[in-house]
Amino acid sequence: MTASRRLIRFLLPSIAALCAMFALTAVIFILGVLLVRGLGSIDWAFLTSDTRSAGAEGGILYQILGTLILIATALAVAAPPALAIGLTRVVFLRSRPRAARVVDALLHALNGIPSIVFGILGLLIFLKFFDWGKSWLAGGILLGVMILPTLTVSLVERLAAVPRKYIEAAVGLGLTREQIITAVWLPQSWSGLLTGSLLGLARAAGETAPILFVTAVFSGATLPTGIRDNPVLALPYHVFVLAQDSFNDDARANLWGAALVLVLLVACFNLAALPLRLNLHEESRHV
Amino acid sequence: MAPCAKSFRPQWILWSCTFGVAVTLATLLAALLMLVWQSLPVFAHSGVGLLTGTDWYYPEQIFGALAMIYGTAVVSLVALVLAVPLALGAAVLSAEYLPPGPRLAVKSGIEMLAGVPSVVYGLIGVLFLREWVYKGLEPFDPISGDSLLTAGLLLAVMILPTITTLCDDALRSVPAAQRAAARGLGLTRAEAVLHIALPQAAPGILAAALLGLGRALGETVAVFLVVGRQDGQLPGNPFSLTAWISPGQTLTSKLGGPETHIAFGDPLHWSAMIGLALLLLLFVGVCLAAAWGLERMMRRNTDPVAEATP
Amino acid sequence: MKTNAATLGLVLAVAFSTSALAQQALRITGSTTINPVVSEAAETLRKENGLAITIDTAGGSTGGVNALGDGRADVGMSSRSLNDSDREKFPGVDFRPVSIGRDAVSMVVHRDVWEGGLRALSAEQIRGIYEGSIKNWNEVGGPDLRIVFFNREPGRGEWEVLTKFLYPGEKTAPRTNHAMVGSNEETRQKTATTRGAITFLSTPWADSKSVFALGIRNDADSVIEATGPNIASGSYPMSRPLFVITNGEPSGAAKVLIDYLLSDAGQALVAKHGYLKLADLE
Repeated sequence: MTASRRLIRFLLPSIAALCAMFALTAVIFILGVLLVRGLGSIDWAFLTSDTRSAGAEGGILYQILGTLILIATALAVAAPPALAIGLTRVVFLRSRPRAARVVDALLHALNGIPSIVFGILGLLIFLKFFDWGKSWLAGGILLGVMILPTLTVSLVERLAAVPRKYIEAAVGLGLTREQIITAVWLPQSWSGLLTGSLLGLARAAGETAPILFVTAVFSGATLPTGIRDNPVLALPYHVFVLAQDSFNDDARANLWGAALVLVLLVACFNLAALPLRLNLHEESRHV
Repeated sequence: MAPCAKSFRPQWILWSCTFGVAVTLATLLAALLMLVWQSLPVFAHSGVGLLTGTDWYYPEQIFGALAMIYGTAVVSLVALVLAVPLALGAAVLSAEYLPPGPRLAVKSGIEMLAGVPSVVYGLIGVLFLREWVYKGLEPFDPISGDSLLTAGLLLAVMILPTITTLCDDALRSVPAAQRAAARGLGLTRAEAVLHIALPQAAPGILAAALLGLGRALGETVAVFLVVGRQDGQLPGNPFSLTAWISPGQTLTSKLGGPETHIAFGDPLHWSAMIGLALLLLLFVGVCLAAAWGLERMMRRNTDPVAEATP
Repeated sequence: MKTNAATLGLVLAVAFSTSALAQQALRITGSTTINPVVSEAAETLRKENGLAITIDTAGGSTGGVNALGDGRADVGMSSRSLNDSDREKFPGVDFRPVSIGRDAVSMVVHRDVWEGGLRALSAEQIRGIYEGSIKNWNEVGGPDLRIVFFNREPGRGEWEVLTKFLYPGEKTAPRTNHAMVGSNEETRQKTATTRGAITFLSTPWADSKSVFALGIRNDADSVIEATGPNIASGSYPMSRPLFVITNGEPSGAAKVLIDYLLSDAGQALVAKHGYLKLADLE
């Protein structure tokens, strides 16, 4: 073997390893900073009490609740269309590749729309046209549309992995198409919807831009009592405002605590989805 | 009893599915049309000047987004130039060299970067990256730590996990048989990667880069906090790099800023902001379309859903 | 979608039924300078009077005025006086500003500039820096260091105060091109970490540790510092009243809030955050 071949044989994995290490260092650094600066602020009181003194004292109870309300709404908004589109894509469009490609392209496109464009659209539709004032529902709907592709793609992946044998057996037994859906497709693939939901919730929890204009206020909102003029507090918005506006060291400490809680919340959802995702990923790849 | 797969009775599931898809489509189309409609006034006012004008000064109703387009382009370019090689390197490691256990660990670790919300990235950018860039660029005497470069660096880390995962997928989709054949012919593993896997995964890698670009174009909060937010920063010479280390403005940092709130009651100003959003959508759309085309090319016109079913 | 509508209906029903007092919250928007005071006042009123108040700071003082004009807010917080363009923009709105205190805006500089000996600037010098004709600190008696001017976002009360001081009587300030910062904390933080930086900031925020407030040199070549008495007497030129504004006569929750802010307890909050109480101005 020539020297240059030996060199490449050594260099490629080494450089690759360096790249991976850079990425992992970035992760460790970010998590480390959050833990070091934020862990000190988090205790039970922090998580369950109201914000006081414009962020300097108190906790983030209503920010957490607000975020939970928003992502729950987003899921409620996204799940039915995701189910409809997913079923359509796999069950009904299997024999129409062109229409199938259109659906795939649309999902792709929807997924790529920048979150700030969602925010602007929300401002346009919910504030200008509907005159809703700041509303939790507006944010929930925007986030729902945003995470629709996440849910749908995950569901489609799982639906696609349902073995043909089952379908053929069901047809052979005389089931109608809709019976096959309820008896075979859905039970076999609910994990896909679950995974997609968890990933979607994780994504929706961390988004700031969609809720910047139409949903979030910095202080004062507790639980919504209606639709119009019913904003909520939200963790990402809280962090965003405090990042620009914290006026003393206490507020800054609380800022890091809120940031850490947000990251942990997102991580919980992502981690919950991990086992299901890994299963799917490995078994449907031809390696 | 005969199977009824092709029954013509009204099937409520089929109809509700169709309805669901139709409603979603209609909503998206309506949203897009609304954006176009609302942006018409500024096009009537400035015409193509919205894209080619170098100045943006709303009190005098001057709306030119070229400096912002430049800022967006520079920030994304920096992010891509840094992220793609790193992501590719990490993907090569995880896809080609690591056994399943460590591969999972590395992939999960890198994917954790994707789980960090953009506002937290912005926070880290403001408190750390700004300082490092400011100190690191001292020989070039930057004005401050806020610059297009800072935003680009931050974005690079943000899009890294997306590109890595997709490159990993692209590499893994090259059949193992080909690598085995290469090894059988006497190639080292590195050569198999360089000459067999990478070339075949190239469309997928390019698609990954384009998707990363799409994400970089649309990122708002993190860029807003570290880009400096200075309008009109268009360098005289397009190849000069001083603008890179100076504060600038991108389409997203303008949209995410206070002008959107201020513009709310003013029809022309509001229309200008919508015009910016439309521009942004256009650029992102082009990237996504290109990525989509490449992915199709890689799949060689087969239906991934039909193909995936065992 | 049937399921979607059903789910939505359920969510709404729960939302509606979880509130004992389905009262409309008082919406307050505006200046980040006044925010700490009004936030604390709102907290007390929420606890003691059960009022529902939401506060936001998007868009600064002008954002607050605009929101009030558009009907998106019930009370606007503004750290600058209403001007003609506000009234022109919203002809049907009856702006009623109520002053709850006074604040000064100082030119604040980075540590290096302060330690280089610079303690004050005249209006003409500030104009030169703002317009970009003065580029180095040694031109105005400071160290040999490039001047980096951080401008405030459009809509910030501080910006209006500065331009009114620099360009009295003119309707619009000249166009300039500088890096932008937004709220007070971002301003302080970025100025503190950029060599040769100067900006303009609400005086209590200049902590003399990270950023340092300069005095204003007047025509008689004496330096006026932004101290309480100077602000109250008006000899320090860059001061501004802190306003809460309503559309029409304040009533209901807005009236309760304003009365509280004008009371001893509310005024104590004003002082707590470093601003001047109304009593100090007499």
